[in-house]
Amino acid sequence: MEKFITRRDLLKRTALMAVGSTVFLSRPLSAWAWADAAKSKVVLIRNRQLFGGGDQPDPAIAAQMLDEAVTTLTGKKDAREAWASIVKPTDIVGVKTNVWNKFPTPEIMNTLLKERVLQAGVSDENLSVNDRGVKNDPIFQKSTALINVRPMRTHAWSGVGSCIKNYIMFSPQPSSYHDDSCASLATLYDLPIVKGKTRLHILVLFKPLFHHRTAQDASEEYMWTYSGLIAGFDPVAVDSVGLRIIQGKRNAFFQEDRPLNPPAKHIELAETRYHLGVADPSKIELVKLGWDEETFV
Amino acid sequence: MRIRCLLLSMMSAFHLLASVQEDFPAGRLPERFMSYRITDRLNYSGEDLYDYINGGAELYLSYGLTRMTGCKYNGDGIPQLTVEIYEMTTPKNAFGVYTQSRDREERVYGQGSQSFHDFILFWKGCYFVTVYAQSVTPESEAAIKHLAEVIDKAIPATGQRPPVVALLPEEGLAEGGFLYFHHYIWLNAYFFIANHNLIDLDDQTDAVLAKYGDANARNYLLIVEYPDGEKAASAYQKLKENYAPELTAAQPFIRLEDKTWFTTWTKGNRLGAIFNGNSREETEKLYILTINHM
Repeated sequence: MEKFITRRDLLKRTALMAVGSTVFLSRPLSAWAWADAAKSKVVLIRNRQLFGGGDQPDPAIAAQMLDEAVTTLTGKKDAREAWASIVKPTDIVGVKTNVWNKFPTPEIMNTLLKERVLQAGVSDENLSVNDRGVKNDPIFQKSTALINVRPMRTHAWSGVGSCIKNYIMFSPQPSSYHDDSCASLATLYDLPIVKGKTRLHILVLFKPLFHHRTAQDASEEYMWTYSGLIAGFDPVAVDSVGLRIIQGKRNAFFQEDRPLNPPAKHIELAETRYHLGVADPSKIELVKLGWDEETFV
Repeated sequence: MRIRCLLLSMMSAFHLLASVQEDFPAGRLPERFMSYRITDRLNYSGEDLYDYINGGAELYLSYGLTRMTGCKYNGDGIPQLTVEIYEMTTPKNAFGVYTQSRDREERVYGQGSQSFHDFILFWKGCYFVTVYAQSVTPESEAAIKHLAEVIDKAIPATGQRPPVVALLPEEGLAEGGFLYFHHYIWLNAYFFIANHNLIDLDDQTDAVLAKYGDANARNYLLIVEYPDGEKAASAYQKLKENYAPELTAAQPFIRLEDKTWFTTWTKGNRLGAIFNGNSREETEKLYILTINHM
């Protein structure tokens, strides 16, 4: 049975941990369950030239970042082989994007993922990019493979909106996941339309949103040009890395420990309660590529 | 005669209330102003708010949202404006939502506000109001100020801040550094305390969590008002047992494993606690300031 945890419990268990590392002391549990599990590989790639002084990401640089991230993640010799290892020509592929009008997945990422899936031999009629219509999309309904892509942002009830949460539109009743600040989001991955299908998670941190004033807020004042992508096979590990980056930026911006409100507990619980993946940084093999200033992780 | 006057007065008040319910606030907003006109109207109640802001609606629902009304303004080649007026069950709940959103206290609009170039938020009476622009231009900045003024004037009644807030000592309180709430989720807003409802917070409790001291060395003060002393005593026992079982009357300040100090106490129907105290002296000083208010 899961034990309720207080800050004091964490302090007793992690007496040597730096007190200021809010993202970990903010977590509800510290007893990471998978002490012997293999590490989850996550690739963080950044390119300082992505925006080139403009408002829009350079498509060629975004493509280069995506290919390099996927090649490194898969350990293949080039992008073609890497994508071939992710989807097969016979796959029916749904790209789960995010269309929230204030902070959508950058269109270039949807375009690039479609291109790469098609280049891997999947036919156009077996490919769909969708968000709010996934449940009624015939491609998603009969999909054999999913690719999960969305931007990283803070969220007024779940702490952050990232890869785990991006599957909430697969639920017949999304609000049924809201209890206890969305603690059970990881169970979305047990839905039949999703289970066992996801081949790749891409968390987009081109200009992440690290703070909001109200639930509807996505002000440029609280975005920064991070020019990054996080790629992985484990949504929990991907989100864990993204969470640390957001927390690092918050602390730097506000010049004090500024925990997410509420804490993004669903990421840690995805490991400790639901065993979807690993959130513990010590269980994540993080490969960092490219621009390394103010990486926050 | 007196009864007739009373009845007429009650009918008039009822009529006014019904009118306000029907018309306010969307009916009071200008259809057109400057180069803007209303293009969409917003009207959501309860869980319908999910249709508008998905999971973010829970923030407002946790404070007893009655309904949200508002509108979107557009014009040729100018940034879209959005007005959202959240009607809460009580003024103190509107104030609570406001404390979730503001970083500093201003008093330009309503009973407390904060203004940005692209965003104005304020509370007044049972309402929490946001007016914001898609992007910042001189015209959009002037427009959101105008709308905030219109809404402020249109809301007839003010409301009282929750009395528990008055218990916070002013000395050392960080600017805009407190949060009023009922739902246990917000207990961890500034500082992780527990992953569950450790101290029995619910709609009948009024809690305030506040930041004291410098940004790099905060002390966190929690005060909760319970419906009665019995509930406060029960919550105190739970906090003590789960957080600092070694705390006694002879040893009311406990130094924790991270070298910070902690204390908790009850007085009548109120529970107090100080987390992350930088030193025994600071913790004791904040305790004395607080207990004197309580």
